[in-house]
Amino acid sequence: MLTNVISTLFPAQDVAAHCDGPCGVYDPAQARVHAEAVLSMTKKILALDPSDASHDTINTMSRYIAIKEEEAHSTKTHLLVLWTDFFKPAHLEANPDLHDKFWKAAKLCSECKVHVSLESAQALMAAVEDIHNMFWAAKGQDRPFVTAS
Amino acid sequence: MQPLKSSNFFELLLFLLRRRVRRRIVGRSMLPLLRPGDEILIDPRAYLAQPPHPDDMVWVADPRNAANMMVKRVLAVEPDGSLFIVGLNRAESTDSRHFGTVTPEQVAGRVTSLFSKVQKGISEEA
Repeated sequence: MLTNVISTLFPAQDVAAHCDGPCGVYDPAQARVHAEAVLSMTKKILALDPSDASHDTINTMSRYIAIKEEEAHSTKTHLLVLWTDFFKPAHLEANPDLHDKFWKAAKLCSECKVHVSLESAQALMAAVEDIHNMFWAAKGQDRPFVTAS
Repeated sequence: MQPLKSSNFFELLLFLLRRRVRRRIVGRSMLPLLRPGDEILIDPRAYLAQPPHPDDMVWVADPRNAANMMVKRVLAVEPDGSLFIVGLNRAESTDSRHFGTVTPEQVAGRVTSLFSKVQKGISEEA
């Protein structure tokens, strides 16, 4: 083809379609640590008595809420990295509900961010465990789900 | 994502009339659609009258280094008009997931066709 001859004789200028560093290192443990922090902060918020409207209580409550929101967002970020970067179309064959699991887990992150719900925080941990099992099964390894707390 | 059409007679005519820019792909972020060494034609006037749309393949300046021109796909247009761009090969692409959205002004054109495909055997260079 004429265009191939032109490209060979007169190569065009380059345009980048590259990655800065495809490290290929993934581990659901990152999401797990942040999800554990969400659960921990949710428990601490629920343990505080809001009827004691002292400056100290309000200050502590604010700090707990800020940390819970930040950790919930980090959980979501790490889950999305696994979803979009690690898992490939081939993994869908073994896990046909993969998209649904990630979508629901990401929704739970938002749920934990917006509300103070022990039920949602525990459901998020369960979702992260599910993804942990799916991840290591995809890598052909049997890794137990171990929590820090 | 639809496969990129090979340059037809009309595209080649526009190229000869200097209405298309020809560039060679370096890197693997647009696999499987574009392989390293493939050459593409770009319409630098595509967005003079209208902004980029989702799914467009765009020729865009790296917001961290404007001298580095990249080819990426528009995943979404934010309400403020900024663009979330990604490579097709997510595992090997540096894009809006890392450097955030880009502005329409940073987009220099739209990829219109595949000028030439790299010959087999040299496609792995990146």
